[in-house]
Amino acid sequence: MSNKLRALTESCLVLLALLALWWLASHSQWVSKVFLPTPEATAASLAEGLQQGDLWAYTGATLGRMLLGWGLACALGILLGALIGISPAARAWLEPTLEFVRPLPASAIMPLAISVFGLSGNMVLAVVAFGAMWPVLLATVHGFAHVHQRLKEVANALQMGRLAFVFKIGLPNALPDILSGMRLAMTVALIVSVVGEMIASQSGLGQAILLAARAFRASELFAGIVLLGVMGFASNAALALAERHFLKYQRS
Amino acid sequence: MDFWGTTDMPALLHLRPFAFPAVLLAALEWWARTAGANSDALAPPTLAAQAFARALRDGSLLSATAFTLGSAAIGLALASVLALGLGTMLGLSRRAASASFLSVEVLRPIPSVALIPLAMLVYGFGLRMEISVISFACFWPMLVLTQAAVQQVEPRLLEVSMALQLGSWARFVKLVLPAIVPRLFIALRLGVAIALVVAVTVEIAANPNGMGYALMIAQQSLDPALMLAWLFWIGLVGWCTNALALRLQSAVARRMGDLA
Amino acid sequence: MSDPLLSFDRVAITLGGREILSPASLTVARGEFVCVIGPSGCGKTTLLRAAAGFVAPSAGVVSRGGQAVRGPSREVAFVFQDYGRALLPWRTVAANVSLALEAAQVPAGKRPERIAQVLQTVGLSAHAGKFPAQLSGGMQQRVQIARCLAQQPQLMMMDEPFGALDAMTRESLQDELARLVRDEGLTVMFVTHDLEEAIYLGDRVVALRANPTRDKPSLAALIDVDIPRPRSQLETREHPEFLRLRRELYGFLGHH
Repeated sequence: MSNKLRALTESCLVLLALLALWWLASHSQWVSKVFLPTPEATAASLAEGLQQGDLWAYTGATLGRMLLGWGLACALGILLGALIGISPAARAWLEPTLEFVRPLPASAIMPLAISVFGLSGNMVLAVVAFGAMWPVLLATVHGFAHVHQRLKEVANALQMGRLAFVFKIGLPNALPDILSGMRLAMTVALIVSVVGEMIASQSGLGQAILLAARAFRASELFAGIVLLGVMGFASNAALALAERHFLKYQRS
Repeated sequence: MDFWGTTDMPALLHLRPFAFPAVLLAALEWWARTAGANSDALAPPTLAAQAFARALRDGSLLSATAFTLGSAAIGLALASVLALGLGTMLGLSRRAASASFLSVEVLRPIPSVALIPLAMLVYGFGLRMEISVISFACFWPMLVLTQAAVQQVEPRLLEVSMALQLGSWARFVKLVLPAIVPRLFIALRLGVAIALVVAVTVEIAANPNGMGYALMIAQQSLDPALMLAWLFWIGLVGWCTNALALRLQSAVARRMGDLA
Repeated sequence: MSDPLLSFDRVAITLGGREILSPASLTVARGEFVCVIGPSGCGKTTLLRAAAGFVAPSAGVVSRGGQAVRGPSREVAFVFQDYGRALLPWRTVAANVSLALEAAQVPAGKRPERIAQVLQTVGLSAHAGKFPAQLSGGMQQRVQIARCLAQQPQLMMMDEPFGALDAMTRESLQDELARLVRDEGLTVMFVTHDLEEAIYLGDRVVALRANPTRDKPSLAALIDVDIPRPRSQLETREHPEFLRLRRELYGFLGHH
């Protein structure tokens, strides 16, 4: 058996072992069924919820919020980041403030947003966009700010105009940073969407799992967690693929 | 020649980082006292400063901050120990690493906030609930980084250890561990950032303790001055802890002859 | 000599408070291949940069074609030593060459032909669609040279272009360069720390001193290389004139 195949099988076996552990723990009541539903119950809840449609609706709502907020965040973040990044003066005056906001949890803006938008979908969207914007903005600033001296000299020697420099050298040079910022922004968008739904009682997976926990419906809770995990995985994988495509020139 | 038409004097240069925030605060002060006088969302920074002082005096500031920092620290410590242990094992054994790959990739993408309702179900509200969510959030990135750090120990060093016939425990303690320490502190710095953000998020979403909760309460009592004070304080605490973690990371990197 | 293409008239350069180059005068005629050698810190790179207009002299005048140099110009092509950093990693070989044409606002229709021509001159026609990361060091340096040729420059400044390459690649690129320069009729200023390379390639060798003083100025020697062309790696390096020049110039590199 080839090495890769063997590695894959072993990986699957470990995963199945964990699944078996779950099955054992829930069936033998090591952990109460209130907290730990059986794998079958989770799967049943998942199937039922998807068939009946409400899990689809919730997933769609969360996904929609996440993607819309992320999209806005990226557009704003890249635009602002580029403007700030290409100007050493702008960076000098603004960077300390940007660095101060960097560690701020996006959710901390939620109370302020509630005062402005009330407990609404717009509130959640605003906070998602705001929170997701920072990783993109900071990464874009970094990307545009760090153009290697040599590239600047080449542009100078060829007498490239400023606009040409920004689009032909600045932007492609910043692309690896921008793409990684966009990936980070996606995880932020997912997290803030879920929290927003929990706080503002907006229809979505966040609210669904909160209600399930309150009603002690563990299998529904776990079904929701599984879906959120899938969303996290899929969105990250999609962006990773996009990143590989755009950065294929890096491979030797 | 800069904007002011003078060459920068060193003293003035120190003030530049505060220029933009000062302008924003001044604008906010002006707006909040005129057009936005009855706003529930924003308040003049001067009033926010007063609210901050009050919270400091009556102890609420310190107790909430202590809770958040404490739970973040404990959650991080728990995650670090587990991540260090498992990460080292996976880093040293390629077979273990490839065998665990799928399981890690399945569990890792689960957003930590998705576990908040579960933690609530199991622990109710309080410290343990928050610690468990924080630990989950910090564990995965630190695991990945630790594993990578061990895997990237210079193969030449490992060959040296074989030539010197070091036993595996001696090899781990004298060679692998010191080699990965700079990278571990990079992981720690990341963990600190995540721990604090998750702590505040859990408090905002559910847990009636700590800085995030205080922030929510301030908003709910329609006290924008206090809310802004908390917002600023959360930002400051976050910035300080990250700055400290960065200092620590740099100091370790210098001391350990950063081979990373 | 008739109108020199490049002339340094008592040019001195001070950087960071230190005088890198004490007043030096030097001319380069059209079609000449001038090599500049000297120990580290003697200002050979700085001299090149001044000729290209990247650095302004603190005294004296650098002139090109009779006119004072005020800044970079498309007439002067600059080949950097760190080729990896001078190429755009996200563009293919052809697109990298195209950059020079885009900057010169050559109409899009005319570009493919010029690119193909220049790639053929450096022998990279088969690799036009590859990215720099997929090429060896020597090939990357040839891409940079190709881009410079696409500028159709009057002057080519080369700053230790082969310094980062292994000996075999270096030798083959030296010969390629010599042939190319002869075919295109280029005027070249070539900085190197390799004495033998300087003699092998150059029509003239300029030797610079580090830490210039009043009685030991930067310009230490200006020597003609009277070795016939075309030159070959094996025979030229054993030519008596080659060995004589080597002995004469050895001391200028800081060996004592």
